[in-house]
Amino acid sequence: MMQRRTLLVMMILACIFGQTLRADDTPRAEPSKGLEDLFQNAQRSVVKLYGAGGLKGLESYQSGVVIGDGNTILTSWSTVLDVDKVRVVTYDGRRLDAEVIGVDPECELALLKIEDAKLPGFQLDAKIQARPGQRVFSITNLFGIAAGNEACSYQKGVVMAISNLQSKFVGLRSVYRGKVIVVDAMTNNPGAAGGALIDLRGRLLGVIGKELRDEQSGIWLNYSIPIDVVAASVDRILSGKTRAASATLAMAKNPHKPAELGLVFIPNVIPKTPAFIDRVRKDSLAEKAGIQSNDLILLINEQRVDSQKALDQILQTIERGDSFQLLIQRGLELVRVQIRP
Amino acid sequence: MAAAAWAQDPAIQSPETQQAPGTQQTLGTQQAQGPAAEVLSAQQRRIEAMRKASLATVGVFGLDSQGGGSGVCISPDGYVLTNFHVSSPFGHRMRCGMNDGKMYEAVVAGIDPTGDLAVLKMFGRDDFPTAAIGDSDRIRVGQWCFAAGNPFVLATNLQPTVTYGLISGVRRYQYPSGTILEYSDCIQTDASINPGNSGGPLFNADGELIGINGRCSFEKRGRVNVGVGYAISIKQAMNFFGNLRSGRIVDHATLGFTVATDNQGHVVVSNILESSDAYRRGLRYGDEVLRLGDRDIATSNQLKNVLGIYPDYWRVPLRFRNEQGVQDTAIRLQSLHQTGELEKIVEGSSERDRQPPGRPKAPGQKDPEPAESEVAEAPKNSKDPLASQYESRRGFGNYYFNRSELDRILKMQEPRKPNLPGASSQEPVQIRFSGKVIGENTLVESKFDPVKIHWTLGDKTDSVSVKSGWNPWIQKQSPLPIAIALRLWYQWHEQGPRKLGETTYIGQSPVLGKQGLLDDTRIVLGEITAEVYTSGANGDIELIELYNDRQTDPAEIYFDYQPQAPAGQLPSRIRLQYGLESRLVFELSGVDVLPFANPDAAAGAQP
Repeated sequence: MMQRRTLLVMMILACIFGQTLRADDTPRAEPSKGLEDLFQNAQRSVVKLYGAGGLKGLESYQSGVVIGDGNTILTSWSTVLDVDKVRVVTYDGRRLDAEVIGVDPECELALLKIEDAKLPGFQLDAKIQARPGQRVFSITNLFGIAAGNEACSYQKGVVMAISNLQSKFVGLRSVYRGKVIVVDAMTNNPGAAGGALIDLRGRLLGVIGKELRDEQSGIWLNYSIPIDVVAASVDRILSGKTRAASATLAMAKNPHKPAELGLVFIPNVIPKTPAFIDRVRKDSLAEKAGIQSNDLILLINEQRVDSQKALDQILQTIERGDSFQLLIQRGLELVRVQIRP
Repeated sequence: MAAAAWAQDPAIQSPETQQAPGTQQTLGTQQAQGPAAEVLSAQQRRIEAMRKASLATVGVFGLDSQGGGSGVCISPDGYVLTNFHVSSPFGHRMRCGMNDGKMYEAVVAGIDPTGDLAVLKMFGRDDFPTAAIGDSDRIRVGQWCFAAGNPFVLATNLQPTVTYGLISGVRRYQYPSGTILEYSDCIQTDASINPGNSGGPLFNADGELIGINGRCSFEKRGRVNVGVGYAISIKQAMNFFGNLRSGRIVDHATLGFTVATDNQGHVVVSNILESSDAYRRGLRYGDEVLRLGDRDIATSNQLKNVLGIYPDYWRVPLRFRNEQGVQDTAIRLQSLHQTGELEKIVEGSSERDRQPPGRPKAPGQKDPEPAESEVAEAPKNSKDPLASQYESRRGFGNYYFNRSELDRILKMQEPRKPNLPGASSQEPVQIRFSGKVIGENTLVESKFDPVKIHWTLGDKTDSVSVKSGWNPWIQKQSPLPIAIALRLWYQWHEQGPRKLGETTYIGQSPVLGKQGLLDDTRIVLGEITAEVYTSGANGDIELIELYNDRQTDPAEIYFDYQPQAPAGQLPSRIRLQYGLESRLVFELSGVDVLPFANPDAAAGAQP
């Protein structure tokens, strides 16, 4: 018995060595050359973004993907974007200024516009569905490791599940509640949000979401927002449903004023102080509409409120007698309220 | 076929074979047919690469077999590369567990606190399995790699844990943590690197050693892998290995100038020390730096990155652009730390790290003991079996290794004694080298006796005492230092390096125009310092540098030998260089011994 086993082991070893020798005889092509070229190409469509933050737990950097014609960047909607100009650093180290042209509060995605920098863009093909078991790669600037012309970081993973954040993960506190691609790799690190999840052909499968931790188990979720959700969100943003505060709207003769609505905001001390409500006056229009203290106003009539200044400007265009709609973030809930004078 | 195979996982299809959604086969039907032949052969290759690589992987433990990290054996006589932060908590003594299930007694040799490297030496075998050294300059993002080591000190049976991943990034720069431990030009991987993996090897898909794992990005997620690990490139490690074998505390380098990126994106000199070698080679404020070593420079970060892979005192090529155009030169790197500074840091850090890194314990989990393993050289009595392999000395991780390297060099000299007739007599003699300047009829004579050194070029003779007064001749870039170097050459072969002055084996350094690295021995000769570069193969002195101080150009005396010259042969040709400029080349025709009558003897002076 023992002898037979030894013989078997020796035969297996002979096979291994035999193979090794043969492999060495023939000139071997560079291993995984396919991936090297794929990565070389795909990383040109991922950018590093720098903006507000830098405080404890709040990074001032994240990732973004170039889409379509190359003038648009898709990224996570976060506090990093709370600046006038977001700094974009391209794969070859060019520094560009970008402006937020629209946001989708429900998907927590934002679109930025850059000057024509001849960047290759990912196509948003909603038909490319990730499947459990599929090999995927992330391209992100996690931890801000790459600077200037240094390439973003790659990680490998396998799709574990396609699921719904809302129904499956009760301990996860996220504004986004929709479908996600869950992967087995540690993709969702600081600075990774807004990065790309690609397949073995280099096609965009999804956009890396914000860091998310299950409060009960303490486990961090590694997920991406799938391409069909992303594509629909981009369509919504581009079709103008949510716009940045626009100067093109006519000024109202007799506009609304925040104080008269009963809204008291936190002190407006920086250029982009968010429209965060400190308290609501008793018996005011705001209180009747159900607005509460600690609410954050995101949209007014689908126009983006990125600061108290923007809120003032938008209110200037609404006649005092007209009703209007607000999108409010209350904790992790998005709430729509109607102000009826 | 072989090329695509590594890109394939059994569960996942390669770009070539991946089909459009909907038409893709399910996993189930694939399994029913069995995996494709190329997948199986790729798997077989991977298994073999990991088997081979595991043999050389080392677990580093304390003398109580506790704590630990990883390492990798790179020479059959047992030299192990690991991290400084792995070795430092153990002091100078540790045990190394290998894949054969045995623990080997080990001591620390040299340490590199800045680059987080240490070299250990295992004892007990002269045929340790070694890792094949790969080329870390050739790795690209997207290649597969694997780490081997002892994460969470799991390897209680001394079999390394292997984790597989991608090269996520190359040429990364990681700022020093605290005052030291800078990771420059490092490799980023998503292969799991966890506490305990530190110091262990990172291999490419073929099982060749490409890096030493040492660091991870953690931030708020605790000390476990989050998909970002860093390895010191094997190129950097091997650049330092020669120096680390010297048992010294080795240092990294600075350029003597700083750079900034100007508004056109050029990397320009923003500050330069006039005492730096770069300044002497013509680099000035505002010049554009184009290349250092073998790497093009496009950003200040890249310059910092490249600099980190070189030990101090190395001479590396530099390309820059000034108003006259593109200039190619070579500069000597300066030490990053001042004398004594590193020693202080090392002492401080060993104070701090006295507690070895233990494994993280789950509640109720017991520390498994590596009981199954046998200790190869179990100390039967209380006396440390390696007591004679450790020697404490300031500036050294372990002076024992400096002594043994000097012994090695001395041994190479023994058959090379000049044995000139009459030279060993009791009577004082004068040794005379004679030669002729190449391409001219000018005669050269270089003599020394117990009192003076004489240098004759044509009809002009200069003399200097054997004891002092040498610096001005180096400072004014005279040819007389050739005579000092020839005397040193003679005495080195006659007496061996140790008797000439305070002698330290520095390690291995490159010499312009010579292949590979040469052994570098430093001798303090009173007011000057000599660096003697000898061939590791045959012990020939290839170059002697005579330094007045480190702020002026040394005299460089190069020695050429006839090809296949027998041991003990005189150099055939001698060349003097200051900076990068050759000053004099002459052919050596012979050496003879003359009787010496001390002219001062009558006056009662002692020779």
